[in-house]
Amino acid sequence: MHQFESPLKPELAEIIRVKEETPFLKTFTVRFLDKKKQKQFSFIPGKFVMASVFGFGEMPISISSSPYQKDSLQLTVNAVGNISRQMHLLGKGSVVGLRGPFGRGYPIQKFRKKNIIFFSGGCGMASMRSAVYAVNAKKELFGKLFLFHGCKSPQELLFAEDIAKWEKEQNFNVFVSVDKPTPDWKGNSGFVTDLIDKVDFPVENTFVLMCGPQAMMNIAIEKFRKHGFKPEQIFASLERLMHCGIGKCGHCNIGKEYVCVHGPVFSGSELEKMHLREG
Amino acid sequence: MNIFQASNCPAWKFLNDFCVIVLGYFLKKKNLLPYLEFLQEENGLQAIVPVVNSNGATCFEELSKENSENLFLDSKAFFSAKKFFLPNREREFLFEKKAASFEIHETIKHRHKVLFGLRSCDLHALNALDKVFLDFYGYDSLYRNKRNTVLTIGLECLKPEKNCFCESFGTSKPDFFDLFFWEKKDGFFVEIGSPEWEKLYCKKFFEKTRENRNSQKENCSLKLETKNIAELLEKNFENPVWEKESEKCLSCSSCTQICPTCYCFAIEDFFIPGTEDSERYREWDSCQLQQFTRINAGIFRQSRKSRLRQFVMHKLSFFRQQHNVHLCVGCGRCIDACPAKISLVEIASQIQKNPIGAD
Repeated sequence: MHQFESPLKPELAEIIRVKEETPFLKTFTVRFLDKKKQKQFSFIPGKFVMASVFGFGEMPISISSSPYQKDSLQLTVNAVGNISRQMHLLGKGSVVGLRGPFGRGYPIQKFRKKNIIFFSGGCGMASMRSAVYAVNAKKELFGKLFLFHGCKSPQELLFAEDIAKWEKEQNFNVFVSVDKPTPDWKGNSGFVTDLIDKVDFPVENTFVLMCGPQAMMNIAIEKFRKHGFKPEQIFASLERLMHCGIGKCGHCNIGKEYVCVHGPVFSGSELEKMHLREG
Repeated sequence: MNIFQASNCPAWKFLNDFCVIVLGYFLKKKNLLPYLEFLQEENGLQAIVPVVNSNGATCFEELSKENSENLFLDSKAFFSAKKFFLPNREREFLFEKKAASFEIHETIKHRHKVLFGLRSCDLHALNALDKVFLDFYGYDSLYRNKRNTVLTIGLECLKPEKNCFCESFGTSKPDFFDLFFWEKKDGFFVEIGSPEWEKLYCKKFFEKTRENRNSQKENCSLKLETKNIAELLEKNFENPVWEKESEKCLSCSSCTQICPTCYCFAIEDFFIPGTEDSERYREWDSCQLQQFTRINAGIFRQSRKSRLRQFVMHKLSFFRQQHNVHLCVGCGRCIDACPAKISLVEIASQIQKNPIGAD
């Protein structure tokens, strides 16, 4: 009898670099031990991988590196649960398991010649960074670019170096807001969603990509809609508990959608039909 | 070519559905146990049969010398045969620590089985599981490898129990079997359902017959109108009935454990004590437990209402929208098992009586 191979089997990957981003966030640069696998690995920003810390479990982590970076990939991990805390204890040379990429990413192909607003909050910046990198690498294909990012305090600002770099670029408008500013903070303060009313941006031919806490995204979607955005112009990435990543285990089920296979990126018109509250 | 190999083609299905006379055999009732023992001994299959176990519960077990007297053929078994496809707890991988790296060993363990005594509802439940695990964004190997090595023998249900409502879903008509035993006087009419049936053929016990599969089945007393129920429930997401019914709910997850189609599972790692090796296990999980949707930001289905609603709506609405069949087969086991006497049929019919937004 033919044996079918498990789609849940992790591939071994080595941590080649660890960077401490904020007190709770670390970026791990990982590379598959199997060179062929590393060569074949490609993804669309917004997709995620299932990362295993052997003996502790497996968790979904979105890829934060550029899709054009072929020799390795980066995972930005927030130390909040058992597995992610354990991952934070790992250093260079440790071996973890990876499988993926899973899900549906941001449909960047559709945005040619259009303006893009990247909108993220907290560690939502992780998957957004990948999208920004992808767009920025072929900047001439797109219109005006905007980045809105919010975080709790200046020391929790993720990828500050990248953001500083993007700020200097032409045709790229970057707005960072901090909920609780420290005295030395010179940028915006208050919720990032408040920026939507303050900043001038085009509505026609503009798409919004969103990733962050659900509460932030709900408010942001509402505000963008008030400014005249159609639901089809908004794409938001949802976060749910996931155990398998292949639409079997049932944890990420919302109505008829499984976030792991139909998402995590949903368009505004799909989100309207979903029972996001208690669904 | 064997004529039965054509049994997968639509024309054959059509003929089979509308012909009164189908090809088949007759098995005498006294030959049932010898036949099952024959399958076990001669054909090398592991025979799984419904029995009354030592605790007095009816469930599926491997046929052995001890339990062969306790065969339970009166009605459906309280515990379904789900555990033979989705075991309560099952090892998926062994991660062996090798210097700085790991070696991953996949669990490969299965025996060719024959499942005897599946009722029509159980067969339909298996079909619903197939939809998820065989062909929904790829397959799951643990399920698929088990499913491929299992042959099914259905058994007709003559007298439905008080909580059965299979007719409402059309699952009272058997389908998706290798062989099906129709109850007759002194024996069974054996209907053939798949090309795999030859592995279950036994010259010694299968007799030629002029009988056919006319059913004497009684109708279920419990009924649920299932026409458009998926759309109706979708519109009634905020119906006050959910709140009212969930006040009784204990969130004990009995309904999901007993349900022959509930498939949600969790994956967890455990260290082997004293070593650096670890094992990855797959276990049943339940949408009725609060931790089921917990992430760092909070619990999405915090209230009992939302969790009960998830169970009922997944059965009657969400799955239907995904796969075009209901995830409920009307076996009524969740109603039997519920300590708070919550009934899926009751909830659905209350919503049908008092829908919101109906004008």
